[in-house]
Amino acid sequence: MTTDQVVLSGLLAELILRQLPCGGWAALASSSQPALEPTCFAAFALCSFPGVALERAQQFLLHTQRPNGSWPAFAGDESDGAWVTSLAVIALHDVVPAIPARLQGVHWLMSCAGKESNWFWKWKFRTADRHVRFDPDKFGWPWFPDTVSWVVPTAFALLALNELPCACDGLEQVPFRIERGVEMLLDRVCPGGGWNAGNGVVYGVPVAPHPDDTAIALLALREYRWDSMVQSSVQYLERIAPTLTAPWSVAWAILALAAYGRPIDSIYGSLVGIPDLSSADDTSTLALVCLALDHQRALSALGVTS
Amino acid sequence: MRLTRRDFLVGSTALAAGASVSAPFLLPKYHTDHRPRRSRVAILNAEKYSQELDQILAAGLRLFPIDVQGKTVVLKPNLVDYAPGDAINTHPLLVLAAAESFRRMGAKSVVVAEGPGHQRDTQLVLSQSGYQESLRDEKIRFVDLNRDELTRTPLRASYMGMRNLWLPRTVLEADFLVSMPKIKTHHWAGVTLSMKNMFGVVPGARYGWPKNILHWKGIQESILDICGTVPVHFVIADGIVAMEGNGPLNGTPRPFGKIVLADDPVAADATCARLMGLEPYRIVHIREGSRFLGNAAPSFIDQVGETVTAPAEPFQVVPEFRLLHEWTIGVPQVCRTLRSRAS
Repeated sequence: MTTDQVVLSGLLAELILRQLPCGGWAALASSSQPALEPTCFAAFALCSFPGVALERAQQFLLHTQRPNGSWPAFAGDESDGAWVTSLAVIALHDVVPAIPARLQGVHWLMSCAGKESNWFWKWKFRTADRHVRFDPDKFGWPWFPDTVSWVVPTAFALLALNELPCACDGLEQVPFRIERGVEMLLDRVCPGGGWNAGNGVVYGVPVAPHPDDTAIALLALREYRWDSMVQSSVQYLERIAPTLTAPWSVAWAILALAAYGRPIDSIYGSLVGIPDLSSADDTSTLALVCLALDHQRALSALGVTS
Repeated sequence: MRLTRRDFLVGSTALAAGASVSAPFLLPKYHTDHRPRRSRVAILNAEKYSQELDQILAAGLRLFPIDVQGKTVVLKPNLVDYAPGDAINTHPLLVLAAAESFRRMGAKSVVVAEGPGHQRDTQLVLSQSGYQESLRDEKIRFVDLNRDELTRTPLRASYMGMRNLWLPRTVLEADFLVSMPKIKTHHWAGVTLSMKNMFGVVPGARYGWPKNILHWKGIQESILDICGTVPVHFVIADGIVAMEGNGPLNGTPRPFGKIVLADDPVAADATCARLMGLEPYRIVHIREGSRFLGNAAPSFIDQVGETVTAPAEPFQVVPEFRLLHEWTIGVPQVCRTLRSRAS
């Protein structure tokens, strides 16, 4: 076994140890409150190793779906979380009994849009509220309903919708939403490439991109790799990745750069070399590192071809 | 003129309708009046971030009758994002000095807790801003409030029209919560000080990055509801290098040389605003907070340490907040009052 395989199997073992009796995972090792995001990332990580842990995770996802088709941020919450709905839809991709649940989730995603898609807010952002530079015609998904579109939930929704085999059975609007979502991401890109949480310019000042937001947006825009803004964002990520030390950002950078066929050996090596990875308190980070160490399979689980 | 039964009924209905429409505007939006009879604020001079902060802060804390013996102390710095050379975050050396002081004062445990509003990778912000190493060296635990275990908590004020917020266990279980803001101007709230700093206790995992629902419900309103629900026991504000202009992220660093301590967040923020040359009563959350959260009026504030003097050049603000430079009562008058109290 190579060093990275040893590290990966240790991390997967730790991940399985952290699974809660309900089948989900908590955000932090010290917590027992099952949350959707770490559960979805853990399910992606375990995809390559089918077994009881993965089945229990999938059952947990099916049980926590809300009657309207969305998923909440954590079990017991009454909210509709747009980004976790996208992640759950992706996590249940290959589960045949989960097809109705996935479809319900997709229908909910289609009904959810950033607040700027509404004519009134469009008008307000065009006329009265112009501090944040963006085109309200180009909208995506919010973190939660009744707020505007943000980069990460839009990128996750695009990944989820891109996995659909067809736009039929009431999902004819999927291509329209995908187009708007892609436009929204390209509209909000930071001037020098890369993405921040939302807009690239606020009060006339360009904001700095975030490595993880950039990587997630790039994964969603894989089909638009020839776009100049996408290319400059890949270049930004290539520049910043070797300077990163936080495993969450390094792992996202590996996934995105691998998806674009860029060399990742050096940052891959630095991720493997981070000491005490399995003691990371944040379970999503732990799962993300597993995905990065097994990036080819991870990308296929996310529906991204490299 | 004879009042018929019909007139009486119409009149009563009109009166009831009028009362039901106007009541929400007339009734107070807070459930409890938290204001202390008197508040205490200390302004300390500190020209730079150095190991000497330990002594400066310890001396400052001795000006307050604080009892943290056997208590769990949670330090809540302002840790938003990182940009080299910018004064975005509360400096880690000040947080370390506070942790050391509270440990010496007999605290059972001291925890640093924050939920960055923009950056999802908390560990990246911690490492880039110098926190990770410092906290590890001093064996101080950090809790990521964005991902902590949550409890649905009824709000004790109703400015933003929400009944509950999911709040992190670490904050709710703290015996002594210390807000440690960076003194900055803010393009949507006017200033970001100890009260606005409490935005960071609202978890991203439940409200997003940024916590956009709070922006839509009203930033000032959200600040009031959060502070009405999560009591801030003490404030240590980092103004050694502050920020002016397009804060909280893209403003200009401003060497200011001050640390402000207070046992009341409203008194702390009102004093910081005066030091910045800004009129506290024109900042909605300070003005409204002074009705139930604490004292903003100099006559209710015991000033210790250095005196309040407005700067020759007030802090720059974005055009929407230019009004903050206009004083409802003259700044010299406020400063005179505070100076006489200090002496």
